[in-house]
Amino acid sequence: MTDQTNNTGFDWTTPSFQSHMKRRRRSQLQLKLLGLGAIAIAFMMLMLLITSLISTGYHAFTQTHLKIEVFLDPEHLDPAKPARGNYRQILTDTMKTQFPDVPDDRAELRKLTSILSNGAQFQIRDRVVENPGLIGETVQFDVPVADTYDQLNKGLIDPDTPEEYRRLKNDEIANFELLKDRGLVTEPLNTALLTNADSRFPELAGLKGALVGSFYALLTCFLLSFPLGIGAAIYLEEFAPRNRVSDLIEININNLAAVPSVVFGLLALAVFLGWFGMPRSAPFVGGMTLALMTLPTIIIATRAALKAVPPSIREAALAVGASRQQVVFGHVLPLAMPGILTGTIIGLAQALGETAPLLLIGMNAFITSAPSTPFDSATALPTQIFIWADSPERGFVSRTSAAILVLLTFLIMMNAVAIFLRQKFERKW
Amino acid sequence: MFDVTKPETAVDQTDIKIAASNVQVFYGETQAIKDVKVDIQDKTVTAFIGPSGCGKSTFLRCLNRMNDTIDSCRVEGRILLDEQDIYAPQVDPVQLRAKVGMVFQKPNPFPKSIYENVAYGPKIHGMARTKGELDEVVEKSLRRAALWEEVKDRLDTPGTGLSGGQQQRLCIARAVATRPEVLLMDEPCSALDPIATAQVEELIDELKQRFSVVIVTHSMQQAARVSQKTAFFHLGNLVEYDDTNTIFTNPQDPRTESYITGRIG
Repeated sequence: MTDQTNNTGFDWTTPSFQSHMKRRRRSQLQLKLLGLGAIAIAFMMLMLLITSLISTGYHAFTQTHLKIEVFLDPEHLDPAKPARGNYRQILTDTMKTQFPDVPDDRAELRKLTSILSNGAQFQIRDRVVENPGLIGETVQFDVPVADTYDQLNKGLIDPDTPEEYRRLKNDEIANFELLKDRGLVTEPLNTALLTNADSRFPELAGLKGALVGSFYALLTCFLLSFPLGIGAAIYLEEFAPRNRVSDLIEININNLAAVPSVVFGLLALAVFLGWFGMPRSAPFVGGMTLALMTLPTIIIATRAALKAVPPSIREAALAVGASRQQVVFGHVLPLAMPGILTGTIIGLAQALGETAPLLLIGMNAFITSAPSTPFDSATALPTQIFIWADSPERGFVSRTSAAILVLLTFLIMMNAVAIFLRQKFERKW
Repeated sequence: MFDVTKPETAVDQTDIKIAASNVQVFYGETQAIKDVKVDIQDKTVTAFIGPSGCGKSTFLRCLNRMNDTIDSCRVEGRILLDEQDIYAPQVDPVQLRAKVGMVFQKPNPFPKSIYENVAYGPKIHGMARTKGELDEVVEKSLRRAALWEEVKDRLDTPGTGLSGGQQQRLCIARAVATRPEVLLMDEPCSALDPIATAQVEELIDELKQRFSVVIVTHSMQQAARVSQKTAFFHLGNLVEYDDTNTIFTNPQDPRTESYITGRIG
């Protein structure tokens, strides 16, 4: 056996060769395990983040509501001026009918009405303003309950906590339990999270203002940075002579891409708001600031995509007598488009999550209505998260996580579009 | 300037399509071509042979000013196409390249349909006013490139989906579609298998009835097969230029002899 292997020239069984093999395989295995370990750790971190966000955030996706029969008492309402009625009193009366045993005492009654959200009276008012004919009738309303009762209903208030440290006293809990027993408490999907603008009251606060603000800001950012970025990249890549000046420009663009975003915020504050006197907190200005940041990213991505188009395509077009411009716009740019779009979307996704520059131009203001134009004051998603994370009300804890989940959803969607475009337009040459 | 077509007889009389004299090419500081003088005849296949890096491709690319696209490249001397200097300031290299077509080493069809590949040149030069005219140009060019029968039923499929040899013939069709007078071929068969090579060589033989063809090749057999005139380049010099038969049977210069007998290169 050994003789035979010797005859064929190489002995695979010698101890020195065996130990050499073993060493090589061991080091290969170590490298593999190291890589796997790194991926596992990264994945765990990600899972940890998502789990913690979902576990705190899911509470915000439902909202406790209370069904109430409201008698629109003509005594407190003037049909001529329905907007100026005493809705607070109407709500007090409504709650009084639910709890006939409660003594007619101001403090006790206030306790009852505080079960309802502060927004309840406005909800009723809006309905009456819309339809003044309802005055004098009894109408059923489905109103959100105040944040503390929402917390209670979601089991976030521990009844075992000593009463003096609890946010709801025993009698308040008992009152709420009574309503619950009567089947008046529901917990529907919290659509207000997306359809309401910001509010001081967590149960009314929503992301509409932030979503619209972010949309306008990103739109502005895209409209400014996409054409400018592509134009700059085409010039630098296809037309500019290679010399010291173009090298300097290239280095500076790469440096700009690495500049901390807060610096762009300060620049925008000084130039856009300070010199040009543009409006504070406006998504348009926010978009301009984000465009400053996104521009280098788009230029770099576009140049890389243009560079990736094989020179043989350029030569082919030049050789049939196409001008430089025809080569670029007819052949190179279409072939580079998937790469350009991918880079742009990733740049925009980055801009969507950017907070610091928006804080500096005042997009963290407290604004209770969604902007109707890009020049109105607004917040953006990341700054809204910042505001909510800073708010003391307990309801904002879960809403902050929910808002982060909404932001992440948009980011994932944008990246999915980028991947889709890349797959769809990828060409082989 | 090049729109002025000379009477056919005039061309036939002179018989010299391209007259290059005193051509020097520099890449930055290094000189790639030294003092090349060559007269390329009309309706003839001229082969440029020589070892790698001898400057034959560089010289070929001077003939349609493709070297203009390289920043560091500088061309001196005179290259006359139909007795007009193509490096004269009033000459537009873009128009020139429509007159002097080029086929490259690796087939490089546009990632578009077969039809659009061929139609692109005529389209940008406004050579066809109507769709019908364009169709005609495309068919004629594909026929001329001996590709029509193979692709006539799938003109709207991507050109990149063809086989290597078909792609190269598509590139030839694309080059002849702009009705050039000279066709430059830079090692057109080096990426092809022997069968595709034979087809392209056959095609070159037919093309010479209409164009002046200049072909750069590494294969001396190919030069012997397809060309009537052969130029041997060595280290940037044009060593010898003569009838192909003379070059291969009775070379005057010892360097040429060493190369064709396989001692250098």
